[in-house]
Amino acid sequence: MIKKGVAVSGLVLGSLLSTHALAQTEGAEYYNDRYCMTCHGADGMGSEGIRGPRLAGMEPWYIKRQLENFRAGVRGTHEMDVPGTEMRPMAVPLTDASITDLLEWIGGWEYKPTEITLTNGDAAAGQPLYGTCAACHGAEAQGNEALGAPALAGQNDWYLFAQLKNFKAGYRGTHAEDTYGAQMVPMAATLADDTAILNVVSYINTLGR
Amino acid sequence: MTNPVSRREFMNLLGATFGTGALIRVGSALGMLPAVAALTRPVLAAPAPGAGTAVILGAGISGLTAAWELAKAGYDVTVLESSNRAGGRVMTLRSGDVVDEIGNRQVCEWDNEPHMYFNAGAARIPSTHRNLLSYCKELGVDLEVFINESKTALIQDDAMLDGKPIRNAEVSTNVRGFLGELFAKSFTTAQLDQPFTESEAETIMGLIRQFGSLDREMNYKGSNRAGYVSGGFIDHGVQKEIIEFKHLMKSRLISQTLSANEGETGPLLMQPVGGMDRIIAGFTRALGDRVKYKTPVMSVMVKEAGVEVAYLQDGVPQTITADYCFNCIPAHFMAGIEHNLPGDYMQAMKYIRRGEAIKGAFQARERFWEKEEIYGGISWTSAPIRQLWYPSHGIHKEKGVILAAYDFGNGGEFTRLSQAERVEWLLKGGEKLHSNYRQMVEKPITIAWHRMNHMLGCSARWGRSGGGMTMEEEGLYHTLQAPALGRHYMIGDQISFHGAWQESAILSAHWALADMDQRVRSAA
Repeated sequence: MIKKGVAVSGLVLGSLLSTHALAQTEGAEYYNDRYCMTCHGADGMGSEGIRGPRLAGMEPWYIKRQLENFRAGVRGTHEMDVPGTEMRPMAVPLTDASITDLLEWIGGWEYKPTEITLTNGDAAAGQPLYGTCAACHGAEAQGNEALGAPALAGQNDWYLFAQLKNFKAGYRGTHAEDTYGAQMVPMAATLADDTAILNVVSYINTLGR
Repeated sequence: MTNPVSRREFMNLLGATFGTGALIRVGSALGMLPAVAALTRPVLAAPAPGAGTAVILGAGISGLTAAWELAKAGYDVTVLESSNRAGGRVMTLRSGDVVDEIGNRQVCEWDNEPHMYFNAGAARIPSTHRNLLSYCKELGVDLEVFINESKTALIQDDAMLDGKPIRNAEVSTNVRGFLGELFAKSFTTAQLDQPFTESEAETIMGLIRQFGSLDREMNYKGSNRAGYVSGGFIDHGVQKEIIEFKHLMKSRLISQTLSANEGETGPLLMQPVGGMDRIIAGFTRALGDRVKYKTPVMSVMVKEAGVEVAYLQDGVPQTITADYCFNCIPAHFMAGIEHNLPGDYMQAMKYIRRGEAIKGAFQARERFWEKEEIYGGISWTSAPIRQLWYPSHGIHKEKGVILAAYDFGNGGEFTRLSQAERVEWLLKGGEKLHSNYRQMVEKPITIAWHRMNHMLGCSARWGRSGGGMTMEEEGLYHTLQAPALGRHYMIGDQISFHGAWQESAILSAHWALADMDQRVRSAA
């Protein structure tokens, strides 16, 4: 991620200039689709108050896939996934062009270390459980684009916890077209209960970023 | 009545009939009736040398109040507002305005006329809200009367009288008749808890008779207070038939009807001429270019030497350092803004739940309610829209804007619907009250405060127990009210016991200003 941060610095400037130019358009009040920070926090740092996960440092290919999934109703349609159903209407009006614009914008956000909020888990007990996850997400939870598996290290722990619960309960990953999500459902099923989920997330917390 | 009914028993009976809570509680947002607030306008000392800067986060009414008082005292003030408009949940919609709901942007297409507006957030000013009223006076905001209750407005409940709407006057007259008769009978036969003299008893009986519109025998036989079916002016009036209490008591709305117009939402209420945001315009006019729009806050660092705030302006990072910071950003956003606020502060912020109030509005092609002798006030229904509000202003104009729904506590279900589904939901509800509703209204607007950009919630919810705050909740509240390092204050109706009122937001700002002022004075 540090490498990426350097690589995108040129993009940041570019995107700022283009936003600025758009904002100066005469006439009607300017609106675009750059709403992300309202829910996902300043510079996409994640916002527990809204249950909006961290976007800073998230892989562009993963964000793209999820935005397309939300837009198509592949994700965010199960009524028990309340934050997901809140995300979906945001994605529905997006065009491919505005998704590209958002990826460029989000890519410019600096990654800052995530606050650890789950402190009562047993990371040591979570370590062996993580073995299953490591196959796709990597031993350091750094992610693997070839397998379509995003980085887990550095993501908000409360979000990882919520998503594992969603996969386990079938609130996510059960849509026929959610190919990658479908792979997560049996994986999450290997975690016996909330304590196991808490422990594995606690282990991911130790991997840092 | 062979068993005398004591007054205490009578009150118990009342409570059992209506629910004590229901009698005094209109809803969580309107739940408590605080005493008339004293005028707390602070008289701030001039700033200490080299300590005269203040940054205000958010141009909601609490932020604007703080900014204005500080500016008058000689502070150098900057207000950072993430939206393109000031006011927060004090929002008035007119032709061309954008409803910036995330994922459901709407543009208001109503006729462009001064009376064609809708107060999408705050909409009523009680006579007792002295501080708000004093700012209206100071800032030259013209006020007019707001009609909350109309006796000709309607009450409709699917569980009552086969869902047929009846007039507010029919409800109040028949309920009072029933209660008056009940009370008179118990009074004449009972040995009361506390004896009255004969003349006192006579006075009380007179009062009861008046209250219930009873006949000489203290029986309720109907009353022209409920209105006539026909006549009454130049020929004999035909009185409406009594609606028996056993029918009325089937609806929870009956107690709502009686209590909604008492206390804080009782007469006399006011509204600014031309829209509630005239108050905001008064503040922003006075503050001038101290208010910076489209400047989202990115970080808040409270340091010994001052508060450092990073924000964006036209997408470009900026920093401002000030001696004091007054922050009315909704608490649920602060977890997503970089900061160094104390841990117990954050714990308190994370505890607060986001309010889910919703409203809806239509342009009416004609003021159809006036043809039904309704000229303002509220109709109630058991449908999820709960209320229709007829505008108090623009009487006899061609068109008007009607409030099509107001759920002040549980709008979550509505929020999750698509715009088309929401509109159908509004129409279905309105049709329960007015059979021609669907033909009469157009150009819908829906307001889901839970999804509005820069807001994502209506008034903060502190209490989770259903009643007031628990001791623990009160502790969290006081934690959040207290300043961080004597420099950073959270303000807004979120820092009050009484959310959703502008007066609460103003008083929270006054509290913070007074606390700051005390520190300034004691350091001098």
